[in-house]
Amino acid sequence: MSTPAWGARLRAPLLVIVAALVAALALAACGDDNVGGGADTSTEVAAAGDVEGELTISTWPGYIDVGDSNTVAEFEDETGVKVDYVEDVNDNADFFGKLQPQLQDGRSGGRSIFVVTDWMAKQMYDLGYLQQIDHSTVPTVFENMLPSLRDPAFDPGRDFSVPWQSGMTGLMVNAELAPDVRSVNDLFDPRYKGKVTVLSEMRDTVPLVMKADGVDPNDATKQQWLDAIDKLRGAVESGQIRRITGNDYTQDMANENVVAAIGWSGDTSLIENPDVEWRMPTQGCILWSDNMVIPKGAPNTAAALAWMDFVYQPEVQADIAEYVQYVTPVEGVKQVFVDRGQTKLAENPLIFPTEQFTADCSTQPEPPGSAADRDEVVEAFQDLVRGG
Amino acid sequence: MGGWRRRIAPYGLLGPGAIWLALFFVVPMYFMGEMALRSGSLESGGFAMTWQWSNFADAVTGYETQVLRSFLYAGAATVLALAIAYPLAYAIALRAGRWKLLLLFAVVAPFFTTYLIRTIAWKTILADSSPAVDILQFLQVVPPDGRVLATGGAVVAGLTYNFLPFMILPIYASLERMDVRLIEAAKDLYASSAKAFWRVTLPISAPGVVAGVLLTFIPAVGDYVNALLLGGAGQAMVGNVIQSLYLQQRDYPEAAALSFLMMAAILVVVVVYLRLAGTGAFMGDEDEEARA
Repeated sequence: MSTPAWGARLRAPLLVIVAALVAALALAACGDDNVGGGADTSTEVAAAGDVEGELTISTWPGYIDVGDSNTVAEFEDETGVKVDYVEDVNDNADFFGKLQPQLQDGRSGGRSIFVVTDWMAKQMYDLGYLQQIDHSTVPTVFENMLPSLRDPAFDPGRDFSVPWQSGMTGLMVNAELAPDVRSVNDLFDPRYKGKVTVLSEMRDTVPLVMKADGVDPNDATKQQWLDAIDKLRGAVESGQIRRITGNDYTQDMANENVVAAIGWSGDTSLIENPDVEWRMPTQGCILWSDNMVIPKGAPNTAAALAWMDFVYQPEVQADIAEYVQYVTPVEGVKQVFVDRGQTKLAENPLIFPTEQFTADCSTQPEPPGSAADRDEVVEAFQDLVRGG
Repeated sequence: MGGWRRRIAPYGLLGPGAIWLALFFVVPMYFMGEMALRSGSLESGGFAMTWQWSNFADAVTGYETQVLRSFLYAGAATVLALAIAYPLAYAIALRAGRWKLLLLFAVVAPFFTTYLIRTIAWKTILADSSPAVDILQFLQVVPPDGRVLATGGAVVAGLTYNFLPFMILPIYASLERMDVRLIEAAKDLYASSAKAFWRVTLPISAPGVVAGVLLTFIPAVGDYVNALLLGGAGQAMVGNVIQSLYLQQRDYPEAAALSFLMMAAILVVVVVYLRLAGTGAFMGDEDEEARA
């Protein structure tokens, strides 16, 4: 076929494409100058009111009791609210990345509650995406919340967040195959080469590596963060660290592809392998909470507040704690277990860690310094995750 | 029919396709290209248009490992898929007889299950202590203390598996409509079986091969699920980088620049490939085949 024929064939579609491009340009010219910035940062308080209608909650998988008379069904029976309980949070940053364009426009994607970790709750609040919570609209919450959770650094006085569960990041170990892993430094032992994973949640993995080397993560410099990331990089390049994972490390643990990992304290309930246990690292753990927050644009905030109040009743919370095995934020749950004769649960240090148990632990830190400094650390860690 | 109507008619026929392309290709491309020239961050008030051409330079220099890896993995998967698909498509089209439909169904049936579930299933099949890996170790394909999961091989295998039907079906379609009497004619003219295949069957199936290679290679280059689930810490592909830039680092401009460059790179590879393969083969152009 000759070239002119090609040209003739192409001319018409080319014209149309050019026309479309011009149309697109015209369309874009009417758009905003700044993409993604300048959200409405005015203060908005979640409104209370009649509890009815529908409520959509976005949360992490495996984070509530299951069964016919589970907490969601109980709440529906008691209030008549229809709950859409969606387990679509797998990773704070991924979840935020997905919803951010809507949050930017003051919409919540139909959701009334998100469950996100401390730092993410703060980031959302600072960007003006969250409503404040008036304590008088959730009396049960502030009657029963553990004193240690009432005044966290990221949200002094709890203006915009209510803890859903707290947890500890430490070592998930197969006691049969890696019996002597007790410190985060043991993950770097060549005997376990290729059988170790760490979490892609930077604020868990990097601080634990720093702690293992005697650095207080809440007092660490940017350089110390970068050094810890370099240490991890060396272990990735040598093949010591097999993968950098999200919550799916539980599958590798269950299959025994991995014998030791950085993991979350409640996840033993997700891992179907009796040899796997969560261990407090010798140099201590990282403490965090996942919080219920109410985004701006949330429909039915009255039902959202009612839900928060409902799950802060010790009886209700005990059902959740029994199933998820994370640190419960509600006072009086231990007594419920004692009254029910569930002494084993009442003494479980993963649900009721004593001060002594968590003495060496640190609250989950943020990289220090300016936004640019933080970005540098985040980028260094993401480079590691991407294996560049 | 008036002259002007005759001239207008082709544009009218192009209309629906053109609108579709404009809405779902040109407009998004424009916004992506425009985003790639912005700078700033969400926290500092958004991304402003600053004609930041350096985003493209950063995207090239920062991620060349992953870009090369993507082309390497996708290329290997395409070659493997072709090696598996051609004999299979040939057997189904020309030798299967009344089993043809059933075999074709068997090729497609696994893909009624979602992509993600099938890929996750491979994690269980290829677990370190699984029978599959034991056999591979026994055959010394995998060293005794070696593994399959979390290696480049696992990613290539996953890509091959997931895109195999896109290779099989076009090749099958081109072989299926071949007139088998052409092979008989070749043999009547004293061609050996090999020669008849080389001079008759292969050229006739060429459009299917070319289409299959494109349908496999292009999505495989941009895939991130296989690297995410089957790969390890050093197997990230470009798709994973873009995902991490967009969702984790929220550096939208650089993610857009990298996406843009990746499309350009794929376009170049495809154009070179089509030049080498001959556009006629792709279009099913008999003239060009006759000349070739």
